[in-house]
Amino acid sequence: MRSSKYAPVADAASVSVGAFATDANAGSVGHGASIALALCCLMLGATTATAAEPQQLTRDGRQKSSPVFRDGGKELVYAEFTDAALFQLRRLVLADGTNELLHAKSTSAEFEPAWSADGERYVFCKLRGVLSIGMTVCDRQGAVLNEILPGGGFCGYRSPALSPDHSRLIFSYAERGTQQIYSSQLNGEDRKALAESTGLNNWPSYSPDGRSIVFGSSRDGNFEIYRMQPDGSDVRRLTDHPLQDIRPRFSPDGQRIAFTSHRDGNAEIYVMNGDGSNLQRITQNEGRDDYAEWHPDGKRLVVVSEIEGKHDLYLVGLPD
Amino acid sequence: MLDIGSFQARTCDGVSRRSFLKLGASVPLGLGLTGGLAQASQGSRAKSVIFVFLWGAPSHLDTCDPKPNAPVEYRGPFGVIPTRTPGVHFTEMLPRIASRSHRYSLIRTHATTAPGHPDGGTVALTGFAEVPTPVQPNFGSIVAKARGNQGTLPPFFSITSGMLADASRRIEGYGGGTLSQAHDPFLVGCSAGGEVKLSALQLLDQLNPLRVQDRRQLLALLDTAARRADQHQQLAWTRNMQSGYDLLLNPAARQAFDMTRETPETRARYGYTTFGQSSLLARRLVEAGVPYVQLNYSRHPEAINPGFELGWDTHVYNFELLQDQHCPTLDRAFSALLDDLYDRGLIDDTLVVMMGEFGRTPRITPNASRDHWPPCYFSIWAGGGVQPGRVIGTSDKLGESPLGDVVSPLMVGTTIAHLAGIDTQARAEMNVLANGKVIDALL
Repeated sequence: MRSSKYAPVADAASVSVGAFATDANAGSVGHGASIALALCCLMLGATTATAAEPQQLTRDGRQKSSPVFRDGGKELVYAEFTDAALFQLRRLVLADGTNELLHAKSTSAEFEPAWSADGERYVFCKLRGVLSIGMTVCDRQGAVLNEILPGGGFCGYRSPALSPDHSRLIFSYAERGTQQIYSSQLNGEDRKALAESTGLNNWPSYSPDGRSIVFGSSRDGNFEIYRMQPDGSDVRRLTDHPLQDIRPRFSPDGQRIAFTSHRDGNAEIYVMNGDGSNLQRITQNEGRDDYAEWHPDGKRLVVVSEIEGKHDLYLVGLPD
Repeated sequence: MLDIGSFQARTCDGVSRRSFLKLGASVPLGLGLTGGLAQASQGSRAKSVIFVFLWGAPSHLDTCDPKPNAPVEYRGPFGVIPTRTPGVHFTEMLPRIASRSHRYSLIRTHATTAPGHPDGGTVALTGFAEVPTPVQPNFGSIVAKARGNQGTLPPFFSITSGMLADASRRIEGYGGGTLSQAHDPFLVGCSAGGEVKLSALQLLDQLNPLRVQDRRQLLALLDTAARRADQHQQLAWTRNMQSGYDLLLNPAARQAFDMTRETPETRARYGYTTFGQSSLLARRLVEAGVPYVQLNYSRHPEAINPGFELGWDTHVYNFELLQDQHCPTLDRAFSALLDDLYDRGLIDDTLVVMMGEFGRTPRITPNASRDHWPPCYFSIWAGGGVQPGRVIGTSDKLGESPLGDVVSPLMVGTTIAHLAGIDTQARAEMNVLANGKVIDALL
């Protein structure tokens, strides 16, 4: 069930040693197989077409978030709780399972990474102090290009994303009782609010051609998915459900959108067309499925799934 | 499988000074019952108490007291779902806990006085403010004194990676207070993988519990270490070590910390998070006969702070932190704890109380988040003589104030003591929980 091609080095990220150490992080082939089987069987019930078999990409079980592909799908970068007090960015090489810290020398919490489509820039959130979150922009090699610091007091940025040509940065920022999507240059200058509204706006993401931004907003009461032009015009609502729809992501061809929804009782992954039509449920798991990100081939999603109490990355095929 | 990682000393010279200090700070001193207290614990409904402390203070509007009809600047972005109790709704963030509302009762009319974390925490854990001193005892210390040492394990555990503290200082109400350090909690940590760490026993490189077969061997090791200590340290050493080493030498006691004795299915139900596995450890301690377990969601209250565990103090990104981190973790672990206690027949003898030190501002702040709100918050009570399925009290339409009678932290402590069999006379003998009233609506 678990392809050796995608099998990470066992326990590459394991660091815990305690007086009463357990087998929680050890994993086993049999256990992993049962996890994949469970997810596969559950998924078959959710779609009419046969979906490709899910592949478990990590096995340490620690809490993870925000996986993103880079280098044409050869690598994944994601945030993980190293321990109860620190989350860090990790880099997973799919071909050989190499799993290591993206920034080995960083001691501050880092999360929500995002890459430009050309792979030349990436951005992530970085904890700067008590309840204070900045953004860091790096080049392909990891050299810091810009540090965008938060203001004074409790504040910070969330969910940064880069335009495909890495000319602009979009992100979420709270002030004056609302939380808006902003666009700026990569150094934080020329900041513009996009499609301002009441409530909270978050998780902005560009379409591959850079002509649309999809995002989540509570402007109409609870979190729904919307899309707009890069200048904030032409806002269109794509979902409508009393339970939340969040974290939208455009497919590589720009035709579909994956997102997380609570509409069936807990967090599951759904895919719909770019206009909100043709909704399909992708996961059906007793635990939480969240943080969907498209593989560059457009046929699979990487998802953080909580299965048997453990949080791991799974590569989930979409129905034909 | 057992490992020795936590039993390694911090220096190459044998016992470290820090190890001595840890022992003094985390091992209760004296033990045993006196006078009428021995009778006070007879006939109690709750043989054990698990106090789930959500330090940092969760928003009541975003969890168990939503206000979906409030104006947009109050209600927040979360949808609401029905609980199993007719007419009662939670937010969509807690589906598992909502579906188990027939197994607990909910209070929505708490109010407290202290607005900050350490002082608010002290009030939440003792019923009284830190000032004027002396600080009153933690509810767990009261139960510990009333029950005394009944088995091989200390009577009061606090599950945490260290002393509860915010960025400035510790909670003064962590322990024995006026009852003395003899009734401080025994600190025990538990990681997301289920590794249990007893900081009090981090003493010697050689102090591997698998190797220590008898007291004579252990005492020989300790004598070696003690000779290296100064007189003051030796005094503390002699006075404090008994409880810790009784625990270390007793195989049955050690088993309480061996999480591998649980089935994979049970461990999975709680979730492989720090709080999830800590919740399972709490159940194991109760099963082993520990009278009081303070199960802390996090060591620190701050939601996001360098080097700190993530607490519920969500001054920024309240909604993201709740939906991404805190609520899924709590929902899985607390619902599993309730189910487990029921399935094992422990719930009738185990009182479970879950709450923070206050609520959060009903009106969304300029940071699009929520700040501290002492005038109104919630708690959940299950087992141990509590009638389940009740909703006690109502907050106003904005969640700003309780409507009707307010339930104070002192009433929380008094009710815990009452259900643990510590009656008015026994409380008077200890000079604790003065003028406290029982929350009759729970009984």
